[in-house]
Amino acid sequence: MTPKVGIIANPISARDIRRVVASANSVQIADRANIVLRALAALRACGVEEAVMMPERAGIAGHVLRGIERARAHGEDRFPRLSFLPMPVTGTVEDTRRAARLMAAAGDIAAIIVLGGDGTHRAVVGGCGSVPVAGISTGTNNAFPEHREPTITGLATGLAAMGLVPARIAFADNKKIEVSLDGAPPEIALVDVAIVTDRFVGARALWRTETFRELYVTFADPEVIGMAAIAGLIEPVSRTEAGGLAVTLAPTAATRVRAPIAPGLVEEIGIESWRRLPAGAVLTPALAAGAIALDGERELFFDPHQQVEIRLVDRAFHTVDVAAVMRFAAREHLLVDRPLVDA
Amino acid sequence: MTNNPFPLSKDELLAAYRTMRTIRDFEERLHVEFAKGDIPGFVHLYAGEEACAAGIMMHLTDIDRIASTHRGHGHCIAKGVDVHEMMAEIYGKSTGACRGKGGSMHIADLSKGMMGANGILGAGAPLICGAGLAAKFRGDGGVGITFFGDGASNQGTVLESMNLAAIWNLPVIFVVENNGYAESTSVEYATAVDSYVDRAAGFGLPGVTVDGTDFFAVHEAAGEVIRRAREGGGPALLECKTIRFFGHFEGDAQTYKAKGENDYNRENRDCLRIFANRVTSAGAVSEAEISLVDREVAALIDAAVESAKGAPLPSPRELLTDVYVAY
Repeated sequence: MTPKVGIIANPISARDIRRVVASANSVQIADRANIVLRALAALRACGVEEAVMMPERAGIAGHVLRGIERARAHGEDRFPRLSFLPMPVTGTVEDTRRAARLMAAAGDIAAIIVLGGDGTHRAVVGGCGSVPVAGISTGTNNAFPEHREPTITGLATGLAAMGLVPARIAFADNKKIEVSLDGAPPEIALVDVAIVTDRFVGARALWRTETFRELYVTFADPEVIGMAAIAGLIEPVSRTEAGGLAVTLAPTAATRVRAPIAPGLVEEIGIESWRRLPAGAVLTPALAAGAIALDGERELFFDPHQQVEIRLVDRAFHTVDVAAVMRFAAREHLLVDRPLVDA
Repeated sequence: MTNNPFPLSKDELLAAYRTMRTIRDFEERLHVEFAKGDIPGFVHLYAGEEACAAGIMMHLTDIDRIASTHRGHGHCIAKGVDVHEMMAEIYGKSTGACRGKGGSMHIADLSKGMMGANGILGAGAPLICGAGLAAKFRGDGGVGITFFGDGASNQGTVLESMNLAAIWNLPVIFVVENNGYAESTSVEYATAVDSYVDRAAGFGLPGVTVDGTDFFAVHEAAGEVIRRAREGGGPALLECKTIRFFGHFEGDAQTYKAKGENDYNRENRDCLRIFANRVTSAGAVSEAEISLVDREVAALIDAAVESAKGAPLPSPRELLTDVYVAY
């Protein structure tokens, strides 16, 4: 029996207010289903025979099953067997969390392909344990999942899942930031934690720059958008190096950076100071009360009597290193078939 | 540090709570009164969805128009229609908002910009395009909001109206109050692509989905789409994922819902409870102030029911009056 690959396709990513206050895209359900089909076809081409998918009720599963049936009706064997996790569907982020936990507990899932933005990947990483994640961008900011044709992500995941690429090449370590409120089990962020003066979650997204006060990032890439872009434009930090960056923001600061904080939204942000953020150090926000945005979305709020602790963790979880896998595949001719005897 | 960290003043927070509490008590009371058999026709209760109406309508004034649905009591109250006149209308009395001739599904008050509840699914969408076109011609900055449910979203009128609003760049917002059920049919069964944002995208409209049980989420998102429309940015769609505590209509046995679903929602997803907990725990509003609103609203609803019951029915001689309105 070959290893299985999990698929978590979030039907409700890329639906927030950034479609109005910015120019964010809206990946349609039919497109998400097509992406799943492309990834499935790539998995099958690598020898993966079975995939397990998170159930949802927004239409992705229905479109995917119709695509598979169409292929079968034409006598094509292009896709692995597809089953769905036996779990209730709530239509909320809890579905993603539960699916990730179930896939980790199953023991035979070699990797999880995730369709979503930074928030979806955060929800998966919160539950998937040591199972590697392969991200496909269908969200709003998409700083964490790399932009790439899903067929290639599927190929790399298939090759890695089948054990055709050494694990030290196939899988990369990633950082995360833990945020704990009053000693409760921590919430996590994969890219950035922002402290803003709002004290409500509301429409979640961040776009009112006058509210920005503090920023903590696992990596600072000048090529991404979102809050991490602010850090990326003042001191880049790679995904692979230890530690991250902490930035103090102030609307009236003399140092200004023009940062793409959302798709099509380049805003001027006041920078008071910044410093490296070492792994393991426990930090407390200077702001007495506010909201905590995880990977660009307000998730928590805290009042003056509450204690917030922020800590960066190195080597927190694994991702499929698509670029490394494909380079290895090319070098080793993993996808090249040659006749046994020259004609 | 201010003790009001919200984007609304204390008075506005209390006004929002009062609106939601008024809708809730109005509907809970109708649930009881309808069972007694004194109310003619059907009623479709809005309880559970209050944050949608309140969060949106706080951004509107009387120059802004709304076109409502068969489940329209909450929209009426949030838009400022008199509660006594509403209750009398539902009882079919001559003191009602429409002289007792409209009933629950046709309450209207043009002075408040409330163009009417509507017994025809999806009928509000073309109406609001007319209101939006008028506002655009007048140049008064007015906007139009049409509400419809997940069921009505499949009506051709809604889709045609989205197209019309887009090509004319009308100051119109399409609000989907997605409570998960079209009468008794689930969204998953009846809608081919369950994302209403996708529908909007098909007409070139931006679409936003928010948690309709979170007043602040609705208020913040509605503020942005309405501001955009007022400034000439054109139409948009706002999907509020919400719940209804009662059946499609009063008397609906709700056998299509999961066992315990209503109890779970009342315990965990009650927008009034979520709102009150948040504003009191942040110290923006005291529990005593919330309780005072509760008492005042309870008295208002009692008085509205009493006066409605005591009011006269319309005279048969008035059968053909007030039926058509000159706009």
